[in-house]
Amino acid sequence: MIRRNPYQTMIGILCVLYFISVGEAALPKPKKKTGTEVWWSLKPVVRPDVPDGPETNPIDRFIHAEIKNRGLKAVGAADRLSLLRRVHLDLIGIPPSPAEQEAFLADDPAEAYEKVVDRLLADEQHAVRYARHWLDVLRYADEDERMTAAPGIYLWRDWVINALHDDVPYDQFVQLQLTGRRAHERTQMSATGVRSRKEPRPGDQFALGFLARGTGENPQDLAISAVDTVSTAFMGMTVGCAKCHDHLMDPILQKDFYAMKALFDPLVLRKITLASAAELIASGKAMAEAEKKRAPLEKAVNDFAAHYRTKLYEERVLMLPPEAQAVIRKPEKQRSVEEQKIADDYFPILRIDGDKLTESMPEAARRRYQELQRQLSDQGGAQNGRGPVIPVFHTVEVDRLREQEKSYILTSGDPLRPELDREVKPGWPFAKEEPDFRDGRIEAFADWLTSPENPLFARVAVNRLWQWHFGEGLLKSASDFGEFGGLPSHPALLDWLAAEFVQGGFSMKQLHRLMVTSEAYQRASEAGETFAESQRIDPGNTTLWHFRLQRLAAEPVWDSMHAAAGGLDLKVGGPSFSPEGGGGNRRRTESGIEVNPGAKRRGAYLIRGYSPSREVTPDFLQAFDVDDGRAPCPVRPQTVTAPQALFLMNSPEVDKACGALASRLQKESAGDLPSAVELAYRMTLARPPSGTEKTNALTYLENDAARLKELSWLLFNLDEFIYVR
Amino acid sequence: MSGNPPTSTIYPCGRIARRDFIHQIGGGFLGLALGGLWAEAGEIKEVALGPHHVAKAKSVIFLFMCGGVSHIDTFDPKDNKWAGKFIDAVGFGDNQAAMKRPVIPCLRTFTRHGKSGIPVSDWFPHVGGVIDEIAVVRSMWCHEGNHFPAVIETQTGHRGRAFDHPAFGSWVSYALGSANKNLPTFVNLGRPSSPIQLTGGYLGASAAATPFQAGETPIPHLHPPRGGSAAERERQMQVLQTMSQEFRERYAVNSDIQARAQAYELAARMQVSAPEVVDFSYEPDHVKALYGIDEKETEEFGKQLLLARRLAEKGVRFIQICHAGGGNGAWDSHGDMKTHGPLCRATDKPIAGLIRDLKQRGMLEETLVVWTSEFGRTPWSQNTTGRDHNPKGYSSWMAGGGIKGGVIHGGTDEVGYKAVDSPHYCSDLHATILHQLGLNHHKMEIQTLGRTMRLIEDGSPIRSILA
Repeated sequence: MIRRNPYQTMIGILCVLYFISVGEAALPKPKKKTGTEVWWSLKPVVRPDVPDGPETNPIDRFIHAEIKNRGLKAVGAADRLSLLRRVHLDLIGIPPSPAEQEAFLADDPAEAYEKVVDRLLADEQHAVRYARHWLDVLRYADEDERMTAAPGIYLWRDWVINALHDDVPYDQFVQLQLTGRRAHERTQMSATGVRSRKEPRPGDQFALGFLARGTGENPQDLAISAVDTVSTAFMGMTVGCAKCHDHLMDPILQKDFYAMKALFDPLVLRKITLASAAELIASGKAMAEAEKKRAPLEKAVNDFAAHYRTKLYEERVLMLPPEAQAVIRKPEKQRSVEEQKIADDYFPILRIDGDKLTESMPEAARRRYQELQRQLSDQGGAQNGRGPVIPVFHTVEVDRLREQEKSYILTSGDPLRPELDREVKPGWPFAKEEPDFRDGRIEAFADWLTSPENPLFARVAVNRLWQWHFGEGLLKSASDFGEFGGLPSHPALLDWLAAEFVQGGFSMKQLHRLMVTSEAYQRASEAGETFAESQRIDPGNTTLWHFRLQRLAAEPVWDSMHAAAGGLDLKVGGPSFSPEGGGGNRRRTESGIEVNPGAKRRGAYLIRGYSPSREVTPDFLQAFDVDDGRAPCPVRPQTVTAPQALFLMNSPEVDKACGALASRLQKESAGDLPSAVELAYRMTLARPPSGTEKTNALTYLENDAARLKELSWLLFNLDEFIYVR
Repeated sequence: MSGNPPTSTIYPCGRIARRDFIHQIGGGFLGLALGGLWAEAGEIKEVALGPHHVAKAKSVIFLFMCGGVSHIDTFDPKDNKWAGKFIDAVGFGDNQAAMKRPVIPCLRTFTRHGKSGIPVSDWFPHVGGVIDEIAVVRSMWCHEGNHFPAVIETQTGHRGRAFDHPAFGSWVSYALGSANKNLPTFVNLGRPSSPIQLTGGYLGASAAATPFQAGETPIPHLHPPRGGSAAERERQMQVLQTMSQEFRERYAVNSDIQARAQAYELAARMQVSAPEVVDFSYEPDHVKALYGIDEKETEEFGKQLLLARRLAEKGVRFIQICHAGGGNGAWDSHGDMKTHGPLCRATDKPIAGLIRDLKQRGMLEETLVVWTSEFGRTPWSQNTTGRDHNPKGYSSWMAGGGIKGGVIHGGTDEVGYKAVDSPHYCSDLHATILHQLGLNHHKMEIQTLGRTMRLIEDGSPIRSILA
């Protein structure tokens, strides 16, 4: 039987299902492509003219044109504090403090908002918030089944955060994660005319965690995962569908998938130890020292067991059929290939496990043996006598031998079933001409991918940024710009933004600024009676006649709660933490994951991942719709469920936060309850209470400061606390 | 059927836009209850997909023995004429090469029980006592020979995890909706081998299993932290309404905000209904004794099965009980078959008690009890007195819910290795259960990732065991 890992198996199965069981009925019929009609997203981006209008931000001209066109009426601007909270939660994921609210209201209204935007975009916390968005798309996980690259993978997250903070241009952001180098830093020429690879900038190697993340059991998993992620994340094309067959809707052939895979086929994982020379030497010494101490004890253990081991082995050999016995008794070097196969087959029968060995000993001997074993394990310190754990990171590099190997189409995506008559050359769909691989395969692809002329590259990126600010992309299916994805709501605006992005040198921060300073972004979310007509015509708000009310994602819920309680740890960087224990899992310790139920680090650092045998992603994240990172997740659902309610009502986290907020309120209001109520609203909802709200709260408090904890509970459980209005 | 969301609402990561999904078909847990609530308010025309035909069973009690029960030592006796001989075998897990392995003897004695005279091993005397209610299928098989892949295959109907296929119970949740708005549709008791056994997958969190446990807190975060007063909480819930009112009125048009109000109502109702279900104080002693709750060895599983009956009574559709889970599962007796002994003793009396109790209450006719593992065990061992994993042939059994009692169906070869007589792939077990619930598996499908996903791609009910 052929050995398969689940990933290959699923590919095989799915594709078989696809063709046999599911059959054609289940799939939309492939459209007969008529002539040369090109799908909109594949046409070049031509910078559209900005419509006429009084609005200063070009985004608003496009939006208003459509609103007018549909006979709608747009709502006015949001009130200032709603807007402040909105932009804080959007750009940094943390609500504004009472002091920030004061300062904002005190500032000149003509400039105050833009000043806030600039301040937030310059804040490192902005990078933490937006890195989390990108890491969903790029399938970040701390753990996954057979993910060799897990230890140190957080350094890739740290790299993403740093890159966003430094506003590394988007084309370089992608180039670095694919090649580990900036495009202009690949080769150098010596004085004598010899070309060689340039050393990458220190730190840039961590960008390659993106590719290393894809490693699994089979050496081909890395390449398969790379194609799946790169094509959806940066091209907005579901090239993965072509694993088994030509794409049904989009102009992607099966050979295109394997051509893309061939780009990544030569990559192998390389482990890097992250220690200074002195640390490495010290660690080696510690190991030698430990081995020296263990050696006599190990010998004693083995010598003691030798007699029992031989006896047990002899018994086992005698169980075998005579012809097998004859093979086993031959010295290994004298066995033929066939005989060695026979010997290997019987290895599990002859293998002597520790428990069987002790079982075969008489009581007194067993006790003596266990005592010897105990002495040995007491000696070691670290397991198997090694020195301290040295932190590592896994990067990828081109293996020159693998680069020589040919790539083939794989039947149903199964690495063990290459179709030897269907060789594929490295390449990618939509490539115009023969690629130039002199700088390397991936380098050539990355140049094509990130070029200003690639119509998908900028369109896909600006649509994501739009989605993260407005809650929904101009094209809803953010990772599928193919025919399944449909048409964008504002095609001209999308193209204008894409053109603007390219022209601005792919600066993400410039684009963030452009979007959040638009009137469309600053509109109220609430539409009263006077807008009944707009509501009737466009209930789904595709024209953005009002701002979309959004449920906060898991991480900002976590951060808002701890910010109000006053203990949010704003440290940037480092390994993930698990708030729910972890059973002392060794892998976790190696990965540096901190098991700390009391940790108040930002939600972006909560562990996530998958294991077939136990929960990795904390309940809290799961309840609030966070995926485990096994597959790229371009859009998170926003469910409303009872487990969410139960978490906010009864979890120990919320209980502790209520207590902390209450003591904060008491301290900062110096026992004056009306000002405590005022502060409570400002700390949780970033606005003062209305008159009625204040009265209600004071009535509830019954003049008893001890009831501030219960009031805090009420505020954390308001809809408004987990919604952005 | 109806209720497939249009493609534009499908998230590319393979999840369904859950809100739309809930709107259209209702979901599980909250979604489900919400579906129900909205249906009461006249907002949802069609809450569930099914039933497609008259149902024989209202609820399923699904007993999953984690790690792989040896069929040879329990419900599929073989004579020991091969014992000690080497036979052609296939390894499992990482070593699937062809090889020779020594058959080990079965040390059990089998007794013919009941009118049907079905032989049951001395490890399951109590189950033997109710064998006339049971249909034993001796010819189950699946592909995967290692625990996690096999659990995934037998629980989701699909191999591998690329598409986030939901657990079997989630499909039932999705298709039938709840019969009790205060409780979830799909409940899990006991520790599973893998979180996959609870997943709602692309059907969403709302279809996923809600883990219940016997004891004071049957659901996570069900109760306020210690030290809180119930009266105060009651008052808080009322004040919360007042304090939320203005916001809720302003955003009345937003269905999520309506849903949130209902989520809190359900959470509050569950605080009452869930502890009621786990409160055994009104169960008479003779009923508890039937489940073995009065004996140490059977107490834990007995309590879970009594809870299962109580959940079924309240209308919970799918109650899954994972026995001896965690890691590979304790039924994984590689070292010595004797390790099956305590597990059999812990489950035998409670299982028989459950069937008798359901019968005496007239519930057995509409409650389908299913007993299975992810695979069986081989006739041979590696080098021990234990048995290896065997996906090629194993036994499952069913009782009640319109299943014929006292029958044996299918069979393995003469050593108990491969299913040869009427072999049934694990999907056939799913199809049988769905059929008894009034569901046609061909009509249960969902569009996601631009393709049609189903629980069962190829399978059909095991008709010869249907009453």
